[in-house]
Amino acid sequence: MAKKDDILKSFLTHELLESKYELLYENLPTTVRDALNSDIAIVKAIALIVDGLDGTSPVTDSVLRNQITQFLNEAI
Amino acid sequence: MIIRKIQIENYLCYYANNTFELSEGLNIILGENGEGKTKFFEAVDWLFNGGNSELSTLVSARKLDETKISESFRVSVSMTVEQYGEKSTITKSFLVRKEGQNECSTSSFMIEGIEENSSGERSQVDGQALLDQIFPFQIRKYSMFKGEAELNVFESESALANLINLFSEAKHYGKYSEKGAFLREKAEKAVEDSSKLDKKNEALYRRLEGEILQLEREKDKYKVHLNATEEEIRKIEENLQDAERHVSNADALEVLNNRIKDIEGRISFLAGRIDENYTTSLFDENWILVNFEPFHKEFAEKVSAHSKKRRLLQSEFDKQKGIKEGEKKAKAELLNNAVPLPVGVPSKSHMEEMLQDKICKVCNRPANPQGSKDEVEAYEFMMKRLKAYLESQAVEENEPENEEPLFKFDYINRLDNLCISHEDNMKKLRLIRTQIKELFEFNDCRKKDIEELNEKLEKEKLERERILGNSSIAEEKLIDVLKNYNAWQKDLRNRNEQKIDYTSKLNRVDAELKSKKEEKDKIEMSSASSFLIKTRNILRDIETIFCDTKEKKFEEFIEKLQTKSNNIFKTINIDAFTGTIVFRKKSKVNRIIIEVELQEDGRTFYKPNQSLLTSMHISILFAISELASEIKEENFPMIFDAPTSSFGENKTAQFLNLIYETENQKILLIKDFLHADRTTNSLSIKKEFENVRRNKAFWVKLERPFDPNNLKTINSQVIPL
Repeated sequence: MAKKDDILKSFLTHELLESKYELLYENLPTTVRDALNSDIAIVKAIALIVDGLDGTSPVTDSVLRNQITQFLNEAI
Repeated sequence: MIIRKIQIENYLCYYANNTFELSEGLNIILGENGEGKTKFFEAVDWLFNGGNSELSTLVSARKLDETKISESFRVSVSMTVEQYGEKSTITKSFLVRKEGQNECSTSSFMIEGIEENSSGERSQVDGQALLDQIFPFQIRKYSMFKGEAELNVFESESALANLINLFSEAKHYGKYSEKGAFLREKAEKAVEDSSKLDKKNEALYRRLEGEILQLEREKDKYKVHLNATEEEIRKIEENLQDAERHVSNADALEVLNNRIKDIEGRISFLAGRIDENYTTSLFDENWILVNFEPFHKEFAEKVSAHSKKRRLLQSEFDKQKGIKEGEKKAKAELLNNAVPLPVGVPSKSHMEEMLQDKICKVCNRPANPQGSKDEVEAYEFMMKRLKAYLESQAVEENEPENEEPLFKFDYINRLDNLCISHEDNMKKLRLIRTQIKELFEFNDCRKKDIEELNEKLEKEKLERERILGNSSIAEEKLIDVLKNYNAWQKDLRNRNEQKIDYTSKLNRVDAELKSKKEEKDKIEMSSASSFLIKTRNILRDIETIFCDTKEKKFEEFIEKLQTKSNNIFKTINIDAFTGTIVFRKKSKVNRIIIEVELQEDGRTFYKPNQSLLTSMHISILFAISELASEIKEENFPMIFDAPTSSFGENKTAQFLNLIYETENQKILLIKDFLHADRTTNSLSIKKEFENVRRNKAFWVKLERPFDPNNLKTINSQVIPL
């Protein structure tokens, strides 16, 4: 398993996702690639950040910010 | 990564080429003090970290001595390592040219790298880059330890946090918490900007912003105070615990010091009362006269005799004087008490004339010695007058006009008075003998008292020495301990009260901050675009997830580290008291620090003995190394020079057997298991070393014979065991 998938996994096991977003870990994607295609905003946002920071082509702060805010503003 | 070989050539005591063929696992290098162990360690350290300065001090004196002037030779340290089935050799070297007797010049060092792949192909590469690639400097930093003192790499408060960051997964999560905060802040800003566009709530919104800012500043201030207070409390507790070990001694010392002071005071008082100024008393107190009485008696008798004789002489003198006066009186009576003419009237010549003429020309009467009775009488009278005159003339020449007393200076009388005076003083003088006796007795008694007190003082001082001998701190400090102990206890109470105060203030500010933020959120909900708010809320949650995960990973690592450290620690100190190694995470103003401490029943054990402390540090280092191996796929060697000097031989053996069980390569330089025969002055390996499990062992020893005062005779031999 790739390091970025491990990192994503450790984020998706956070209790907040279940308590606040009612998301069960079992139903969540296990890889960054799958998470980037998720319909759940917070999951995809996390995946975007992991991919941006630990993916094959790391991005700058402003690019990351644009990606995330643009995605979230549109998705919700 | 495994170090397969270390070669040292002409480096200090390593004359010519010396090779250590190392193995995986535990490599032990034995050596007596001063026979080459530390030089081995320093050579490897020079290879890893050494610079160009004073290279001439690294040259083998023996090699330099046997080299001819203007000839050159090489000093080098080389390491061959194996990693992923490939071999690499890194060699650091410099040239030495002999310039004169004991003089040389050196080139700058060069570092060469050679890579050899599994099929045996060799290629030359940049040595420094190769070294950093196969053995990164951050890891090298925690791989080499010289002596027990350097084992404590955790003295610096951020060292352990850095180490954990280096080896733990937590390091991957640091950037997420940073980016999470960055994204959340930008989203907050977008919401704020949007909210400010709503003029209706503008004033209230701005006021809330100001209040929140103010409260956050206040919160930061109380956090700093609370941190500082907690730090103070920790220091005071440490001091108190340290003092507690000495306080009973300090208490006893104070009592003893008071007793010693009292005894010394009494000795000084008694010594002051002893009067031994006997020479002064001899004269000032008339002690010299202690045997005066017989002399006085003799003197008195003599004076008495003289006095009697004097009186006799005086009486005789007075009698003679009385006779003379009687004669004068009788003569006066002869003249019918008429006042006679002065002697010499008539004059001598008139008298002679009248005696010749046989007539008294004063009374005009004949004066003839053959004449009548009257004439004869007259003649005799004139003759007598002439004689008297002539005699008077003679007396005038021989006798003083005024008659002197018989005893002009009255010495006898003065002697008499002196004698009486002495007699009066005799009563006092008779007391001197008693006085002397009493003074000697008094002085003897006081001396005896002083002697007894001195004996007592010696005992008390001995007791004090015993207490000081039991104490690990100096007397002056021990005296301060008691004073400080009471002051620290008071200080601790005050600091704990302060801590409660700051905590309650912090809670109050937190509550207030929460309420203001909720109020601000409400305004934002009604004023800002809903998608901005939703974005912000999600980013707030993402930041929380990132921070919590980082924290969790960090804590997981610490917990693992703590468990592993304690397992190793208990194995090293089998059947002995250890306590528990506890890692405590602390938030300082802008950073997290990790403190490691030894606890005994949940109470911090601030001053463990050196052996316990060393084994604690080694346990943590081994635990870190094990965890690093688990997390990374790579193992790195660890090199320790004399890490167990405070251990006994048994504990060292247990320790080595434990290390043998651990995975990664370790090179240990120790001076144990060597026996020095005093008669033959030879060294040998003890039998006990046979029971020490190891993968490889060497013995570095100086080639015999050698002159301890001549470096040119020094050569460390490497003997594989």
